[in-house]
Amino acid sequence: MSMSNLFNNIILFPIDPLSLFFLATILIVTIPSFVYSFGYLKKEYSPAKILIGQILTFLFVLSMLVVVTVSNMLAFLVAWEIMSLLSYFLVVFDSEHEKSIRAGTIYVVMTHAGTAFLIAAFLILYKHAHSFDFKLVKMASQSLPAYIKNIVFIFLLIGFGTKAGIVPLHIWLPYAHPQAPSHISSMMSGVMIKTAIYGLIRFVLYLLGVNNTWWGTLILVLAIISCLVGVIYALMDQDLKKLLAYSSVENIGIILLGVGLAMYFMSKNMAYWAILALLAGLYHLINHAIFKGLLFLCAGSVYKATGTRNMEKLGGLIRTMPLTAFCFLIGAMGISALPPLNGFVSEWLALQAFFMGAWHIAGDGKVFLGFCAAMLALTSGLAAACFVKAFGIIFLAKPRSDYAVKAVEVPISMRIGMLFLAGLTIIFGLGAAIIINPLSQVAGFSLGVNTTGLDFSLNNITIQPLAGNKAVLAPLIIALILILCGLLGFAVYRAFRKKTSIPYNTWDCGYYQLDERHEYTATGFSKPFRIAFSFFLRPYRATKKIGDSFYHIRSMTYETHTTLVFKKYIYEPALGLTFKSARFMRRIQPGSIHVYLAYIAITIFLLILFVRKF
Amino acid sequence: MQEVSIFGLLVATFLMVIAKRTPALVRSFRYQSFFLFLATLIIALEEKQTSLYIVAGLIFILKVIGIPYFLQYTMKKINVRENLGLIANIQVSLLLALGFAYMSWVFSKQLMSFSEAMAILPAVAFFILLTGMFLMIFRLTAMAQIIGLLVMENGLFLLASAVLGGMPFFVEIAIFFDVFVSVVIMGFFVYRINKLFTHIDVNRLSRLRG
Repeated sequence: MSMSNLFNNIILFPIDPLSLFFLATILIVTIPSFVYSFGYLKKEYSPAKILIGQILTFLFVLSMLVVVTVSNMLAFLVAWEIMSLLSYFLVVFDSEHEKSIRAGTIYVVMTHAGTAFLIAAFLILYKHAHSFDFKLVKMASQSLPAYIKNIVFIFLLIGFGTKAGIVPLHIWLPYAHPQAPSHISSMMSGVMIKTAIYGLIRFVLYLLGVNNTWWGTLILVLAIISCLVGVIYALMDQDLKKLLAYSSVENIGIILLGVGLAMYFMSKNMAYWAILALLAGLYHLINHAIFKGLLFLCAGSVYKATGTRNMEKLGGLIRTMPLTAFCFLIGAMGISALPPLNGFVSEWLALQAFFMGAWHIAGDGKVFLGFCAAMLALTSGLAAACFVKAFGIIFLAKPRSDYAVKAVEVPISMRIGMLFLAGLTIIFGLGAAIIINPLSQVAGFSLGVNTTGLDFSLNNITIQPLAGNKAVLAPLIIALILILCGLLGFAVYRAFRKKTSIPYNTWDCGYYQLDERHEYTATGFSKPFRIAFSFFLRPYRATKKIGDSFYHIRSMTYETHTTLVFKKYIYEPALGLTFKSARFMRRIQPGSIHVYLAYIAITIFLLILFVRKF
Repeated sequence: MQEVSIFGLLVATFLMVIAKRTPALVRSFRYQSFFLFLATLIIALEEKQTSLYIVAGLIFILKVIGIPYFLQYTMKKINVRENLGLIANIQVSLLLALGFAYMSWVFSKQLMSFSEAMAILPAVAFFILLTGMFLMIFRLTAMAQIIGLLVMENGLFLLASAVLGGMPFFVEIAIFFDVFVSVVIMGFFVYRINKLFTHIDVNRLSRLRG
């Protein structure tokens, strides 16, 4: 097939609902981030560097848009690579920090390893379809042998899983996302990792078609592991942006729960539930894009105002930066799945899909799906704890250091970006009944099921996924009830409170003069979880006392950190092995041109002999 | 008449193998190129093709006059000792070259399954190729590597004319241009290496290894 034939089917215009959905998701997050960046970059870098950064950002967004719209595997790969490289350049944008270079290197190595698997999968598909075009590949995949399908699926899962940050392929994510400038973090965490989900849906659900139960089961298991590992690490971290990056791992897990469950249902011929599950996944995808984008922007504002991302040094920012605090609170409530915000709707839908599945499926599936639902509930609980910690430590109490004392509210362009996304967080929560309709079409299209006969919405206030059963969700009503309860509580408080207030010192247990050093720390807050999950986190603790005697201590140091299990037990041995074999191979490298020429000559002779022999 | 040119090519190549000093090597290269020119000219006279005349003319201008002159000029400019630096001494080199000649003969006769009369030209071409490779591997200075590469190119040209009846005209022209440019570049590099390390013994570049 000639090159012109390879390329004549690249359609750069959105042609189907799936592409449209992802286009909308990308634009919703990148536009406010872009607006935000003007205020964020100002005075941080030289004008020339800002210009380069903005051009790179623009191209990065463009490449993401291309990734989700092309309908040709080759064009997809090219766009995918461009996207990866541009995001690499943006990760190392702070090139004077050694940390950025290191994070970028880890990222670029991981993402290329993933792309290698994608290339392999695409070539296998090409071999059978004789074309890179999506339509022809879809047709050819009907007649693919089962084992080929399995191999392609595994390759696609590894390839896209690396980009999405599925545990254990997530290790680049907590390095790369925090190191980029904040609006880039928001785009990377908010949208770029979602392109991997797009890839999974497009290639596995839409092109390959699911007819194995174990595909869905595998994704569900990986998703649960990602959820728990992500949220536990997020709870432990004191770096605000790193916390958010780990939280992205968790949320990718929740999205994959929806996708995996849809695959599971499809293999069991339960199309209606499959659509509901995928709908939940897609809803969470766009929600996560919105509130994670928002939270990263808020984190950027905090960083811009204080110059540090270490939560232990922050505190009390709600008084100096009220708007940032408000936006962060909205985002945190959304990501913790508190009603009536958007995170609640999608996680509720996902839980609903699990319960319905457990109800309708016979056999082992019941227990498994029930278990998945329990893990999802645990995850949201831990996420709530995580964001209570983040908000409480950063914005409440007294400032813990000079960094936090000097903070001032950020410029207008940054506030606009944050407010827009905060507004969307609320809209996507309250408007769930309207939004769910187009999403069900997207889900139906991806699964190849006609949705016209299926009903997913009722009277614009409630959502009733199951027409007969009682599964009703009404974010508007919930919001109303919550507001009423709040007003009622406030009224009760106003009515019965004491009319006079007496200023008085806090009872300080005999420590006179309480100051900011007595405040609760982020490490302290997460300690119960560190103990509860010590089997996984393997915390390390050391106390050192320096003093004249056992009873009189002059100074004391305390140190604690957790072991990064995946890094220590998977990546470090693998890396060690690579270096060892490289050192071994170096023995054939004498550095002399003559020996290299001799190698070439010998190789040519051997090749000639080989050709003659066979 | 063709026999004379083939014989000349063979002798010039053996002269290169036994050359101890760079000027001798360049001179032998000039002889070799001259006989290559002669061989091409004879083919051109037989086939009466304009393009072959042009190719022959280019060989004369570039390989007989231009490149050897440029190499001598570079040698003079960088002003280093003229020893080539032999990894294998003359006797061993000569033995190896004889081995190459025999190998080429066997190779071109048996593997290519030509008739004996037809096999001579490819055999010489193979021999020149192998000798070029030999010069690159078993001589120390960068000058020898450049000339080795040029010798290999000569061998390749001859092989193409012998087996395929010459390459397409435009390919030929392009190769000439490439060779000329690469010689200029390599000459420049030799100059730079000499300036940096005060010698052009490439074996000592192994210090650069990481």
